[in-house]
Amino acid sequence: MVDFWFNYIWPVAWIVIKIVAIVIPVMLSVAYLTLAERKIIGGMQLRKGPNIVGPFGLLQPIADGLKLFLKETIIPSGASRGVFILAPCVTFVLALVAWSVIPFGDGMVLADINVGILFLFAISSLGVYGILMAGWASNSMYAFLGALRSAAQMVSYELAMGFIIITVLMCVGSLNLTDIVMAQKGEYGMLNWFGVLMFPMAVIFFISTLAETNRHPFDMPEAEAELVAGYNVEYSAMAFALFFLGEYANMILMSGMTSVLFLGGWLPPVDIAPFNMIPGPIWFAAKIAFCLFIFIWVRATFPRYRYDQLMRLGWKVFLPLSLAAVVIVASVLVAFDLAPQV
Amino acid sequence: MIQALAFYMFAFMTIASAILVISSRNPVHSVLFLILAFFNAAGLFVLLGAEFLAMILVVVYVGAVAVLFMFVVMMLDINFVEMRQGFLQYLPIGGLVGLILASELLTLAGSWIISPDASRVGAAPIPDGVTNTHALGQVLYTDYLYLFEAAGMILLVAMIGAIVLTHRRRTGVRKQVIADQLARHPADTIELRKVDSGRGI
Amino acid sequence: MPLSEMPNLVPALPELFLAVAILALLMIGVFLKSDTADNAMRTSRQIWMLSILTLVLTALLVLTVSGERLYTFNGMFVTDQFAVFMKILILGGAGLTLLISRDYLEMNSMGRFEYGILCIFATLGMLMMVSANDLISLYVGLEMQSLSLYVLAAFRRDEQRSTEAGLKYFVLGALASGMLLYGSSLIYGFSGTTNFTVMAEMFAHGGDYAPSLGVIIGIVFILAGLAFKVSAVPFHMWTPDVYEGAPTPVTAFFAVAPKIAGLALFLRVMTGPFGDLVDQWQQIIVFVSIASMVLGAFAAINQTNIKRMMAYSSIGHVGYALIGLAVGTETGVYGVLVYLGIYMFMTVGTFACILCMRRGERMVEDISDLAGLSKSQPLLAMALTIFMFSMAGIPPLAGFFGKFYVFMAAVEAQLYGLAVIGLVTSVVGAFYYLRIIRVVYFDEAGDPFDKAVSRPIAFVVTLSAAIMVFFILYPALLLDPAAAAASALFGG
Repeated sequence: MVDFWFNYIWPVAWIVIKIVAIVIPVMLSVAYLTLAERKIIGGMQLRKGPNIVGPFGLLQPIADGLKLFLKETIIPSGASRGVFILAPCVTFVLALVAWSVIPFGDGMVLADINVGILFLFAISSLGVYGILMAGWASNSMYAFLGALRSAAQMVSYELAMGFIIITVLMCVGSLNLTDIVMAQKGEYGMLNWFGVLMFPMAVIFFISTLAETNRHPFDMPEAEAELVAGYNVEYSAMAFALFFLGEYANMILMSGMTSVLFLGGWLPPVDIAPFNMIPGPIWFAAKIAFCLFIFIWVRATFPRYRYDQLMRLGWKVFLPLSLAAVVIVASVLVAFDLAPQV
Repeated sequence: MIQALAFYMFAFMTIASAILVISSRNPVHSVLFLILAFFNAAGLFVLLGAEFLAMILVVVYVGAVAVLFMFVVMMLDINFVEMRQGFLQYLPIGGLVGLILASELLTLAGSWIISPDASRVGAAPIPDGVTNTHALGQVLYTDYLYLFEAAGMILLVAMIGAIVLTHRRRTGVRKQVIADQLARHPADTIELRKVDSGRGI
Repeated sequence: MPLSEMPNLVPALPELFLAVAILALLMIGVFLKSDTADNAMRTSRQIWMLSILTLVLTALLVLTVSGERLYTFNGMFVTDQFAVFMKILILGGAGLTLLISRDYLEMNSMGRFEYGILCIFATLGMLMMVSANDLISLYVGLEMQSLSLYVLAAFRRDEQRSTEAGLKYFVLGALASGMLLYGSSLIYGFSGTTNFTVMAEMFAHGGDYAPSLGVIIGIVFILAGLAFKVSAVPFHMWTPDVYEGAPTPVTAFFAVAPKIAGLALFLRVMTGPFGDLVDQWQQIIVFVSIASMVLGAFAAINQTNIKRMMAYSSIGHVGYALIGLAVGTETGVYGVLVYLGIYMFMTVGTFACILCMRRGERMVEDISDLAGLSKSQPLLAMALTIFMFSMAGIPPLAGFFGKFYVFMAAVEAQLYGLAVIGLVTSVVGAFYYLRIIRVVYFDEAGDPFDKAVSRPIAFVVTLSAAIMVFFILYPALLLDPAAAAASALFGG
């Protein structure tokens, strides 16, 4: 019995505890990300943003969540019920599953798998299904158009993202996320980060993540002026909340991915006394917050792309540029014999 | 035990969703089950220790190929009743193909019994001490370099073919030329004129 | 990979050059202006010229690399005298068919630069097939060739017949590829290797493994896949439709280069890795050969469309060529090589004549349209007569010698039945070839064809006709290299 406990129950319970320890902070950050977004955009537009519910509006997300939770979920009569309900669940679950391979600190990772970056890439490429399913199942042409746009867009930008990831992988020589972070460790602190060494690639990657998460200025699927609200126009209450949560969790995930690939993950920017005493997860959180700030900043600043321009940017600008990046990085690595020897 | 459990779960789900692919009435549901089948197959790959293959399966088949399937199927306007009508008519042919496939699979499976020596030659175990991504890379770009490059050329042919057969240069469309737009200067397009009142230009 | 580990690239130099040239041509084609119809035409003409130049340069490279047997790329690629011979034939066939294609393309508003590029892409695939020394490289080369050909068949995409031909070819071709792959997987499963050299040792008499049932089933499947690609009976059904539907220059290309490449692959695979299993596959080849000859002879009689007739005729020719393989000896292979060399020029010349069948800027394809050709264009009529006599195998034209060598090989190997059936079908075949000559010379004249014969076509017709007639004077030009190639295939 004791054996059984230690061999089966306890490991499983331990994994469950770890999962909870990851999910709860992620959910909380999603909630407060919405507040931060409204506050920051408010600040940029010389408004106050939410400030009624709680001190500085701090309870606003809770109130919003409660409202969505208590409302009735309406399923349109022409909808394909099963798929309609499945769609937000898929979006939400995928946004959470990906966190299992993100390293928060040295060894602080739920599943330290060999192909971590591929796993992340795979999961993020699945995100399109939630949207497609929602658009199709709603049986509404606005939703459907939004879904089609989004699918085309995500598939287009994934290519550029994939190539940029390859440039990083060539410098690391491993697909493991912890290895990727450790490869950026060096005596020069943040000068070793791939975001500094390969700045243009980092920029392309970041812009692609904007498109991948359907954020401004690439929020075609949701273009409210043209498509009412895009793929989720028929959703309400909890189903809508799941989409919302999934989308924002995806934003945080993409920021995490950018941090791991280009901003040195949990590493401090300068490896000297006051900085390297702060624990890794805090640095990691700070970097994610930095990326999220840019997400919001971009939203407040840029007008929306027209759809053909968006496709042009993806296929005619980013794809060739990222391909060139792969060739250049590979050539430099070979020419100066810098390729990692694994 | 956990591994065995996982195996049976993935295997069962793969087969179940594969059956649902062909039995569900709605093609969109079929594609969704197909995706589920791919996904579970990826799980089986992981259990085999081929994690790279598993991830590539998800990225390529689920993330790209099946999305295009979905695209096409969602936009089709199919009369499902009509589609079902030929079912009995084609059943014998379908059954025959299935039978042939089954017997072929049996031949393959039986090969290890018929010629036990063959397994000795065929086995190419993953080298110790490296991940299978690494092991794959080591042979792909050295031993199989020729095939790798040739496969690239084949994909290029496919791309050229698709463009040749479908791309049409339409006349009368006004394409956006970004460079021209950027090169435009206010001085080229705006002219300030003094207008006398009541005269116009 | 350190440079020291680079594989030896010299044996594959022609292929590498061709591949790089394709990429370069593609870039040139894309960046040259083709915004208006005139510009598009000019671009396609430039690319057409460059494609032919590329093929010529590749042929020169093939000749410089020639020599003893060399392996590279981890034993997946082989070059020897046989490969050189076949590659020269393929490059020649592709170059000549490309040469005669220009006017048709421009006249039927198919002047897009991708045509030439797809043609040399297919040629690259064929060269890779000829040099394959591994089941996977065989498949890869074959797929590259087939994919390009599918697109070429449907190249006239606004014409229903052409797209139908492309689709038909694609679906059936995919099936054939599937069979080939299945056969390959069986052979790999039972032998544990995909490499031809290793396989040959393994299956050699007194080797480690007796050929098991699985290997034999695998060989049958591979044979079926290859037979489809060279359109041998019983896998010929696609041929007439595709030949008729595809644009005529494409049909000419189909009838020449892929056939040679496919037969080269037949020879390489059957005499190489499975050379010692000749007892197992000989009956199959004998059957395929007889069936092809008979069907080619009898089904062609009723055709009214000249492209369809040529399709059946090519099925018959494949049957004759396979006699040489069925024999399975060096003499047999020698016969096949000679046959293919002559077949190449004969077919290209015939198709060049067919491409002249224009009336009022439109192509006509019926045999009856040829009536009165002898009055309006006596030279062309004479050339066509030469080709038809040659195809029928009437001495002293070249076509006779092609048949002569394969029949001799069959007789030498005491396969008298095969030789006799070959002779009988030749006589039947002569009937429909001679019918064309009758139409040309004796039938009531219709409207004359357009007189203008462009220079490339005139050149090809003259060259091929001259070779048909004067082959008897200098046969050594073809026979010596063929003999060397055949002996190279048998480890000489």
